[in-house]
Amino acid sequence: MNLPENKLRTLQKSLEKDPALFTPAAFSLAESEKTGASNYSYWKSTLRTFFRSKSVVVLCAVVAAILVMSFLYPLFSSVDPTKVSINPLDWNHRPSLEHPFGTDGLGRDIFARAWYGCRNSFILAFCIALSDVGIGMIMGALWGYNKKLDPIMIEIYNIMTNVPSTVYLVLLAYIMNTSYLTLFISMASRGWIVEARFFRNRILSIRDAEYNIASQCLGTPMRRIATRNIIPHIISLIIMEAALCIPYSIGSEVFLGFVGVGMPVDAITLGNMVNHGRASFTLHPYQMLLPAAVLCIITIAFYFLGNKFADASDPRNHV
Amino acid sequence: MKKKLKSMEPADNSAVLSDDPAAQEEADLLRAYEQEIFARSEKHHNGPLLLSARDVVVRFNLRGQELTAIRSTSLDVYEGETLAIVGESGSGKSVFTKTFIGMLDKNGRIDGGELFFHGEDMAKYTTEEQWLKVRGKKIAMVFQDPMTSLNPVRTIGEQIAEVIMWHFGKSHEEAKAETIELLKKVGIHDPEKRYKQYPGEFSGGMRQRVVIATAIACRPEILICDEPTTALDVTVQAQVLDLIKSLQKELKMSVVFITHDLGVVANIADWVAVMYAGKIVEYGTANEIFKSPEHPYTKALLRSLPQLGTKGHDLYSIQGTPPSLFKQITGDAFAPRNTDAMKIDFEEEPPVFPVTDTHWARTWLLSPQAESYRASLLARDAEQQKNAVPETPFDYTNAEKLITVRDLTVRFKMGGSTFKAVNGVSFDIFKGETLSLVGESGSGKTTIGRAIMRIYTGNVGGEVTFKGSKITGKLSRQDKKKLHMEMQMIFQDPMASLNERAKVDYIISEGLYNYHLYESEEDRVAKVENILTEVGLTSEFISRFPHEFSGGQRQRIGIARSLVMNPDFLVADEPISALDVSIRAQVINLLNKMKKERSLTYLFIAHDLSAVRFISDRIAVIHKGHLVELAPCEELFAHPLHPYTKALLSAVPYPDPDSERNKVLIPYDPAMHDYSSDKPVWTEITPGHFIYGNTKELEGYRREAEA
Amino acid sequence: MTKYILKRILRSLVTVVIVFFVVFMLLRFMPLNGYFPDEMVKEADEATRMAYLRNLGLLDHPLVQLGRFVKNLFKGDLGRSITVYPKVPIATLLVEKIPVTAFLGFWSMLLGIVAGLSMGLMMVRFRSRIGDTLGNGYIMFVRAVPSLLYLFFIQIQISKWFNLPLVYYDDKPLSWILPIVSLALSSIAWYALWLRRFMVDEENQDYVKFATVKGLPKKQVLKKHVFRNAIIPLSAYLPSDLLNIISGSLVIETLYAIPGTGGLLTTAIKNQDNNLVQILVLMYAVVSILGVFLGDLLLAFVDPRIKLTDD
Repeated sequence: MNLPENKLRTLQKSLEKDPALFTPAAFSLAESEKTGASNYSYWKSTLRTFFRSKSVVVLCAVVAAILVMSFLYPLFSSVDPTKVSINPLDWNHRPSLEHPFGTDGLGRDIFARAWYGCRNSFILAFCIALSDVGIGMIMGALWGYNKKLDPIMIEIYNIMTNVPSTVYLVLLAYIMNTSYLTLFISMASRGWIVEARFFRNRILSIRDAEYNIASQCLGTPMRRIATRNIIPHIISLIIMEAALCIPYSIGSEVFLGFVGVGMPVDAITLGNMVNHGRASFTLHPYQMLLPAAVLCIITIAFYFLGNKFADASDPRNHV
Repeated sequence: MKKKLKSMEPADNSAVLSDDPAAQEEADLLRAYEQEIFARSEKHHNGPLLLSARDVVVRFNLRGQELTAIRSTSLDVYEGETLAIVGESGSGKSVFTKTFIGMLDKNGRIDGGELFFHGEDMAKYTTEEQWLKVRGKKIAMVFQDPMTSLNPVRTIGEQIAEVIMWHFGKSHEEAKAETIELLKKVGIHDPEKRYKQYPGEFSGGMRQRVVIATAIACRPEILICDEPTTALDVTVQAQVLDLIKSLQKELKMSVVFITHDLGVVANIADWVAVMYAGKIVEYGTANEIFKSPEHPYTKALLRSLPQLGTKGHDLYSIQGTPPSLFKQITGDAFAPRNTDAMKIDFEEEPPVFPVTDTHWARTWLLSPQAESYRASLLARDAEQQKNAVPETPFDYTNAEKLITVRDLTVRFKMGGSTFKAVNGVSFDIFKGETLSLVGESGSGKTTIGRAIMRIYTGNVGGEVTFKGSKITGKLSRQDKKKLHMEMQMIFQDPMASLNERAKVDYIISEGLYNYHLYESEEDRVAKVENILTEVGLTSEFISRFPHEFSGGQRQRIGIARSLVMNPDFLVADEPISALDVSIRAQVINLLNKMKKERSLTYLFIAHDLSAVRFISDRIAVIHKGHLVELAPCEELFAHPLHPYTKALLSAVPYPDPDSERNKVLIPYDPAMHDYSSDKPVWTEITPGHFIYGNTKELEGYRREAEA
Repeated sequence: MTKYILKRILRSLVTVVIVFFVVFMLLRFMPLNGYFPDEMVKEADEATRMAYLRNLGLLDHPLVQLGRFVKNLFKGDLGRSITVYPKVPIATLLVEKIPVTAFLGFWSMLLGIVAGLSMGLMMVRFRSRIGDTLGNGYIMFVRAVPSLLYLFFIQIQISKWFNLPLVYYDDKPLSWILPIVSLALSSIAWYALWLRRFMVDEENQDYVKFATVKGLPKKQVLKKHVFRNAIIPLSAYLPSDLLNIISGSLVIETLYAIPGTGGLLTTAIKNQDNNLVQILVLMYAVVSILGVFLGDLLLAFVDPRIKLTDD
């Protein structure tokens, strides 16, 4: 050691400890097993991650408000959205206190129509989301668990997705009489297969996971494998897909209305209002812009929340 | 005094700031003293110092928490020799070397210390340009998994040539010529043709050779190999290790070899650094580390290897789990798991103590003050080793057959064609024995286990019986229930084998729920708690999710899940291969203990022959879907007959540098068997010793067995 | 490779036959009114109408109708339009209109690929910075808001700002700009979205890290490894873009009064012209399947692994 003598001594002194410390310490098994992992629950972490973003909180509030308005307004308001005025003075009012969104070319209150339209569009969208994701998930599970279904399902998938969705929608809507049911059938008859394939791919990767094989070895019945092993792993995907169905179905409704095979003219839906408003856009832009704004807020909110939820449900993004 | 020492603990921060000038002086002194110890080995190295890491601290930001992955660690790399860094997962060995090449993940940063290389401090590098001068050119790296380190859609030639073109500014033609030379050098035949092929056309071992060729394309001074053979089969691993060794000599590079496998270290390393919880705890020549380890962790690691255990006795096992690096670590990080820890180990971080000029360790045991305690420990260990007497081998004379497997064949569909993963396999499992099934990846060993467990049913041919009744094909619900209660399985990957969304309570109770094997809710909980205690976990874990446990703990939960059914027979599918070295012994002991207490029978599936030798009564060797040899354990190790078994045994790394340096690999080429006319059969050649071969081969084997 | 192509051709043919059959059968349910010229709907009585339909063969068994239809198809006879262009052979109409739609579609697709890929690259390059945020905002807007709304807005407002024509004229290239750009908007979002996603996926791959360790500069790693590999899944998605363009053309051609097949389909539906609807729907279905087939070919071209596994 080429340190000066005095420094060496200081060093040696500093390395010298209380001799009592050089005796055996008690061994604790619990102490040795400490991993330091925090108390973690998948759902708590998912929700925490989801609501960490301010825009998510705001949009959730907006969606909640719109939902409440669309379902409560028709119940508590006395304004009749179909009431036509024969007095031309009531036509095409600009937005005012009395008519917050103005009136249309027949003197109907656009504000009231907007909420009725929202409600109807929501009901339609919810039904479609329910059937797409519901049927899609069940078929996807069957498909994933049964290899024999492969050729049939793949062919159905190819046929359904090889025809552009709009052409398909137009064709079905054209064949049947226009009504809520028609619209529902044309959208739902195609949506499930896309979802089924999506869920099938997810379920395939879960199916062969070791924990599932372990359940098999323990003789776990199919029902419990589904409820305990599979659904908890895809529930977040179900929520996300359902959320994304809503902008899609509203968009399709608007499109079909535009092509001329949408809802009957007297039905109040957001799609119809936008399409009617388009005709008088140059003279009375508010007749289109205001319902369109509500529509955009809904579709963007659901799209955004659906995607954000998908991110939040991925354990890699958990905080 | 104590307070002062704490403040200079580099883990707090490498920049020691103290108001107290005396403490500052002491800190400087200690640093100088450490430098001095590190420098002592200089004259014992082959070449000059190349890279010098000093007090490196690396921190990661993970989910808003700060993780200190490297807690102020120093290391020197000298020219022209192989330095192995050994440690378990999470010890920071890989992170540490990534700092040499600027490849830390985005959420990580060097938070202190210096990295001197050619007179520059690489820890201060901020731009890509600075790193481009080093990466590939001066320091190169080989990753663990050869299957993913090459771009699957570009030819391997292009991928090597692009490095040469970029670093040396050569033309495409020149680069191509050089690439072909390189491919030749790493032992790839027909390199002109191979140049144009895609990675998909290469086997794992060949790909790793290509990766190595890419890494040495620019004649780097340092080659960092990050577990380059962990993903490979034993026989291939031995070949790749040989390649790395010969290239190291030929190109006079320094190799920094990262691994968790002490056998590999013994094979390849000149120098060894042992890393634990983000810190190098011991450093020395390979002989010193293996023959006279000083740090309690190194000692425990070596003692817990199954090669050194005595059959029938518990393996020496390290308790507990590695510490969380999210927390501040006080004292010696290993102390909580060290049954012989001293009080000071919990209080103060041990400084470096020299053992010889070339060997140092960070443990208070080396302090002159601990001399008498250290001597008493040594004496005790020597005593223990003397007393161990191996148990008598399993007696097969009156053994009862529990399971018979006859002509088992399992087919899989791949694309349009079917192939036989298991091809006409026959063997028996006797009650109370441990039969091990050993083979490389893709040999069909796991498939056999799963076919017996009836996980595969439709594609299975042949017959399996359990306690005399047939269990292949269609079974009644009652029979299935009986089987589920009597046969259980333990899985390889503790991360994948537990349902992440269920609590431990449900996971362990799953089988109980299925057949309602409890009288009341209290009874069920009591059963779960009992089994948890039996596998060495506390009953408070019952309400937690698997996410919170370490690999070893998860594996024990998996074992508890199977044992709670009270089975007679267990298929253990590579139960220890995904675990850390320090955890393996725990699980092996647990399996052995359970076997004794519950008189279980095991089918133990593994690729690691060293653990197999310790745990099994008989060993069956499987190759490409065929059983090639089956014999009692010691018989197989003493007199292997089949050439494949011989190759396998010759390739197994043994944790002793002397025997590893002189080891001779026996190559195996399946083409040596000519089965065109003379068909092979599965024959009992001497009592209890089965082998696969045709008449001509069997004759040879018989002669060899008699000799 | 040839085996792969043959397999795909066979698969596409099967799909074409099935789709053709299903759609043709569905079309048998078209409203009967759609077979009558305008004047007959109002005037004729039930008996005459039935006679008219029988005369056209529409009361025969659907399979017989299909046989006849296919036979005529091979002769090049696609039938005649009923209400939209009374008595005009549909073949003549298509010869006139397909080039317009194909022209628009081609340029939009090109614009979509070029602009979409550049946008995706920009988003990867400036990840988590303003460029990325803007790009994501654009993608979200285009994908969430019903296309009709912003397309209409573009036609009415943007045309005013840039002083561009509101409708399409054959001879005024200036009037082509808005339709082409509008049609490309969703493609751009689509390419940007997937390129970004795939590139981010690729960036986490080991071989990209290995390429960096080899000492290649970031730009070269991005180009030769990340982008090169991200193109593969992207090209598998290419046919969906064709479907996108077809869907979009229905709206765009109607809005801008473009004399193409998309506009023709909406007009035919509004005017209940069954023959025209039938031909157009079948044509779109076949074109889409062709697109999917071309996508598969492209995939084989960019992904060498396909050659390896299929031979």
